[in-house]
Amino acid sequence: MMQKTIIEPNGHNMQYWKDLWRYRELALNFAKRDVTVRYKQTVIGFGWAVISPIINMLLMTFIFGGVAGLSSEGDTPYYILVYTGLIPWALLSKSLQSGAGTFINNAGIMNKVYFPRILSPLGSMLAFLVDTAISFGVLFIMMIIFFFLEGFVPSIRILLCPLVLVWVAVLGLFAGLFLSAFNVKWRDLNQLLPFLISIGQYASPVAYSVSENFGDKWWLPIYCINPAVGILETFKWCIIDSMEFNSFAFFMSLGWTAILIPLGIKFFRKTERTFVDIV
Amino acid sequence: MDNRPVMIDLQNVKKKYVIRHNFEKPESFSGKLKLVAKRILHPTKKYNTEDFYALNGVSFQVRQGEKVGIIGKNGAGKSTLLKILSRITEPSDGRIEMLGKLSAMLEVGTGFNGELTGRENVYLNGAILGMTKEEVDSKMDSIIEFSEVGRFIDTPVKRYSSGMFVRLAFAVAANLEPDILIVDEVLAVGDTKFQRKCIEKMMNIADSGKTILYVSHQMQTIQQLCDRVIVLKEGKVIYDGDVARGIEIYTETVDVDKTKFDLTGHKPRGSQMAVIENIEITDRDNCAWFYNEPIKFRVRIKANETCKKMRMYFIVRDLNVNNVFGKSETAILPAIEKGTTYELECSVGNADILAPGKYIAGVELFEKENGIISMQDIVPEAFPFEILGEDEKNQSVEPIFWEPHYHGRMMLPETKTELI
Repeated sequence: MMQKTIIEPNGHNMQYWKDLWRYRELALNFAKRDVTVRYKQTVIGFGWAVISPIINMLLMTFIFGGVAGLSSEGDTPYYILVYTGLIPWALLSKSLQSGAGTFINNAGIMNKVYFPRILSPLGSMLAFLVDTAISFGVLFIMMIIFFFLEGFVPSIRILLCPLVLVWVAVLGLFAGLFLSAFNVKWRDLNQLLPFLISIGQYASPVAYSVSENFGDKWWLPIYCINPAVGILETFKWCIIDSMEFNSFAFFMSLGWTAILIPLGIKFFRKTERTFVDIV
Repeated sequence: MDNRPVMIDLQNVKKKYVIRHNFEKPESFSGKLKLVAKRILHPTKKYNTEDFYALNGVSFQVRQGEKVGIIGKNGAGKSTLLKILSRITEPSDGRIEMLGKLSAMLEVGTGFNGELTGRENVYLNGAILGMTKEEVDSKMDSIIEFSEVGRFIDTPVKRYSSGMFVRLAFAVAANLEPDILIVDEVLAVGDTKFQRKCIEKMMNIADSGKTILYVSHQMQTIQQLCDRVIVLKEGKVIYDGDVARGIEIYTETVDVDKTKFDLTGHKPRGSQMAVIENIEITDRDNCAWFYNEPIKFRVRIKANETCKKMRMYFIVRDLNVNNVFGKSETAILPAIEKGTTYELECSVGNADILAPGKYIAGVELFEKENGIISMQDIVPEAFPFEILGEDEKNQSVEPIFWEPHYHGRMMLPETKTELI
């Protein structure tokens, strides 16, 4: 029996989810392409996935720990603190950007062939998870080094890290999908987003400790509205043993995720129907 | 009674696009006031909008195993129809039911990435076209064989020649096994030998009982491939049936027997300060000229405003609506007072190298002041005409039969070959 496809204005969602299942391999193919292309042409290949976060870490340790003189989480080495913040932050910002840019960056393909559009940012997200796994390997080596240097021992909660990282990628992706709809109509967002992300790097606990520096500030709850705060704090909590669980921020991020997933899907679906007519 | 299953069923499909125009600049004071009021009431609205139907109620059914050619001039709605059928965009109205797996080849090599090897691209492109890894695996050998890239399959495709690239890309698409195949002129790629191979492959697919929708400007391949033709015009089906008759209708939307062309009420484009009302050919009883003969016609122009520095532009297009050449009048036309009409006798010299075949002439009026060109009226399809393959003495001008798509649209008066 041949499958039946019905094309109508504002077509059925049921069919979309069926298609998504049928095309599921495509997401892996996109991810594979992204990873291969990213490292194929460079001289040191995968080395870049290692080097760029390390340079970033050295820079931020110097700025926040050195120049600004902020204190670390207990006696955790500042390098470890910063690197632990950078891993989820990089994943979050990349997923966000690729989600938001889906329609613009892939207009060439999407103009010529049908597939459930959501597979394209999903594939990119999977590729970013591969990058993240490499960065995580570097963190592991750093922890061994600091174990011998300063006797640093990570928390057993480190086993929860993969789970938190998937959460980070999903939050970034769906926030991005939510924005993608606006990105098609107002291209300004494309210019604005990198700018917002670099502000976000300071407004989120990437390279400093929240409890040590602003634990007693009255504006702490407002600060925690930022969806990135809870998720970054949770990731750090998984690695740093002495850290306390920031439950307010955690539930804040969880709430954002619960809102952004359906909203992201709704706006993305609405846009993908006819965006080729606009782009 | 045809009892093959209906594979594609289009029911009154429409596709609306919204075109935006800038607000007109009003002349009068009250008009300006109105504009200001409009801007205040609708602060975000900067444009007047107009609805345009690229498809305006298209209905037809395609049964299993039918090979349907879709033809029509540029802008007739062919591409829009393909985009809707291949689900790239949604219709604004109507309903389509399709049975089975559909593959659309609107472009070969969609998603090909230069950094990836041929093999990696085959997997990626296959997945984009809806194939699973197992399907690609089982087809890999025949894809490599068909594409003739051989041992280069593991080389990044950026090092491929354009021919190799296209062959590999087509090979992937040709090895799909859809129930419905939609093809958009992709055969017009590669060298002649490969094109023939592609057509053979398409014929094989067709013979195996698949349903094919083929859009092309090349009547020759339509004739080879299709057993039914649908002619689209301005978003509507104007003919659906026999291939030969369909092609005739397509080329005969071009009728060269008329000599009077009433253009009043044509779609307004430009400022409309002056409009072209009609065109007449007075020196013969049809629109056919011998090769090498200047084209002469009369144009009647009506002025809605006084025009002092008007010029005319003449453009020739072939039946596929590709521009062949254009020429604007060097002299400024005589001034024309508001509300009056006048007639002009036009003669297009140097058009005498147009090769035999049918063409469409377009006429435009414009004014050029301080280097700024403002269009007053544009009639892109003012009248069709034919250039005959004979001269005035009824002698054939070329020893070969002139096929424009092969020999070109221009025929030089003379070439010389001498023994040295």
